[in-house]
Amino acid sequence: MTIHAVWVINKAGGLVFSRSYSDTLPALPLNTILILAGTLHGVHAITSRLTPGAGSGGMEAFEAEGWGGRVFLTSTGTKFVVLHSIPHTGLEELLKRIYEIYADAVMKNPFHTAEMPINSSLFESRLQGLIAGVNT
Amino acid sequence: MAQSLAYMGGGSGSAGGGTPSSSSRFSLPTSPPTSSTPSSASFYSHSTNPSTSTVSAPLPKRDGSRIVSAGPSSLQQTLFPSSSHQAPTSILDRPLNRTKGAEVSLGAFAFLFAEIVSYSQSRVDSVTDLEKRLSTLGYEAGQRILSLVLLRNTQQAGGKDPKREHRLIPILQFVHTQVYRYCFGKPADGLERSVEGEDEYMLTLNQPPLTQHISIPKDLSQLSCEAFTAGIVEGVLDGLDVPARVTAHTVGTDQYPQRTVILIKLDQKVMDREEALGK
Repeated sequence: MTIHAVWVINKAGGLVFSRSYSDTLPALPLNTILILAGTLHGVHAITSRLTPGAGSGGMEAFEAEGWGGRVFLTSTGTKFVVLHSIPHTGLEELLKRIYEIYADAVMKNPFHTAEMPINSSLFESRLQGLIAGVNT
Repeated sequence: MAQSLAYMGGGSGSAGGGTPSSSSRFSLPTSPPTSSTPSSASFYSHSTNPSTSTVSAPLPKRDGSRIVSAGPSSLQQTLFPSSSHQAPTSILDRPLNRTKGAEVSLGAFAFLFAEIVSYSQSRVDSVTDLEKRLSTLGYEAGQRILSLVLLRNTQQAGGKDPKREHRLIPILQFVHTQVYRYCFGKPADGLERSVEGEDEYMLTLNQPPLTQHISIPKDLSQLSCEAFTAGIVEGVLDGLDVPARVTAHTVGTDQYPQRTVILIKLDQKVMDREEALGK
């Protein structure tokens, strides 16, 4: 399994963090990734409105040929998105680990402003270490 | 005491329209319900519905009032616990020498510390001022930690032979071992004398727990939030009459990118005294 990229989307739909971990993804300018992340946020909102019954679900995964994405919505509205190659294992565990790193390195950092882009070298290095252990 | 409180509670309850509590006090002493039931029934029937259900309505209502009557007494027990009832002890009531269960969760402290730093940062103009502010906070903590650690040591020794170091090296070892262990659960990773001067000592901590989640932005690269720890050290040293200027510096290595050095620059007075005391 390869993790192609990790995105963090804030509760307003803005992209606050994106990092690519493989060279198979087309190199997109940051503005394009911002638009794509906003669109994903919108699609997630649509799917959560379409959920039958009273469940507050939404899109959790999407797949295409050879690759897919997994969305993890936290209870505060922050979304973690992982783009991955198709035979995959342990994605939920991975997303929980990413959430944990986010809670430690971002939320406990006094120099981070909530809902703003993440500029934490600690977050990046810990995430790098985690993804490097998963990517083969 | 409890009775007067119950009376006050009943009075305020009836004033607020809570008739069940007053009627329950009526019904408790009178166990044969022959005389009291009609009066309470008529009272209720006037207030709710005068027409039909005067016979069937009072019975469930009396049952309800009995349940309510059990309520206030148990509520009083929780609000005003008697001596037999165990109450949660606050940090001020806890014995000073008991350390078990007194630890603070690191996650909670990390959030508190992050808030302290951002609060302080919004009130200063420069990195130096921010470090000074954090150091002042640490100094206050250090003074209290010194008293507490010394007291606990004396109590553990059974109250006899209270010990307080007066020579420089034992004092630094006391900070390195006991104070650090009190604060962070383990002794500091190193204590060494600076090669630059006789009066400079360095305490190192490879992975400082306080600032392990903090990443300093580039425009504040000189800042080390361990200034708080430096303040603690300064407070302890000052309490032992070893005035010093204590600063914190992040000196990362490949293995420990957050390794922090607490630099202690001793006052000339201390050096003079050490020389006078001799070996």
